[in-house]
Amino acid sequence: MKSEEEVMSEALVRIFENVVLTEEKSLQAGYFSDLSIAEMHTLTAIGPYESRTMTKTAEDLGITTGTLTVAIDRLVKKGYVIRQRDTNDKRVVRISLTRNGKLACRMNSKFHRVLAKHILSGYNEEDRKHLLALVNEVDVYVAQQLRRYDGAVNVRKTAMEVAKDSKKENE
Amino acid sequence: MDDSRREQIYKEVIRILSADLEVSAEDIDTTMDLNTELPFDSLQLYEFVIDLEEAYNIKLPDEMLDQMKTVDDIVNLIMRLTDGK
Repeated sequence: MKSEEEVMSEALVRIFENVVLTEEKSLQAGYFSDLSIAEMHTLTAIGPYESRTMTKTAEDLGITTGTLTVAIDRLVKKGYVIRQRDTNDKRVVRISLTRNGKLACRMNSKFHRVLAKHILSGYNEEDRKHLLALVNEVDVYVAQQLRRYDGAVNVRKTAMEVAKDSKKENE
Repeated sequence: MDDSRREQIYKEVIRILSADLEVSAEDIDTTMDLNTELPFDSLQLYEFVIDLEEAYNIKLPDEMLDQMKTVDDIVNLIMRLTDGK
């Protein structure tokens, strides 16, 4: 019989992987099949409303502005993002979503909301409150763990390199 | 004053709706249910929402849209959000 830790740890990893996989498959099968998940997350970080600076968006995504610039170049070419110089400070670059970008962003939010709605619909009000409180605690704990690496040059990049190395090891 | 503003918003909402859904404006009734009586798929719904946001310079997040059942509800919401603009 598996220990509680094993059940929890396997479920956490599986949920994370399956949410990402489902999102990826729904993207490929939907209206925005030319977008990768990473690109969709970039659109979500920019958001459907006010324009944002490159620096703040890169910070929210946990990537460098250099990495974001490459991603934005592609998204501009694909017609999802508009890049403009700030009218008050020409050194600042602002990015916002085109109509298609807004559509993609909102459709993706809907995907997440529908998923959450279906999960919650299986519980009564009391259980839903309890479940949300527990999920929130897990969320806070994992976010705390991530903050321990604050100051690391590029956490995402480091994580990707680790993933690449372990893939190589398995080959 | 409110009546003429409502009439204006109503006309514009119907115009946008009929363009996004590619249906005649005469076929749209204010009491129609957005989810069951109008031929929306989710992409068209968001096209409609984004067009409204841009036309009235307002924000219509999903939490707000969840409360909207009819075209009338949308008109009332726009009235409320643009009050004083």
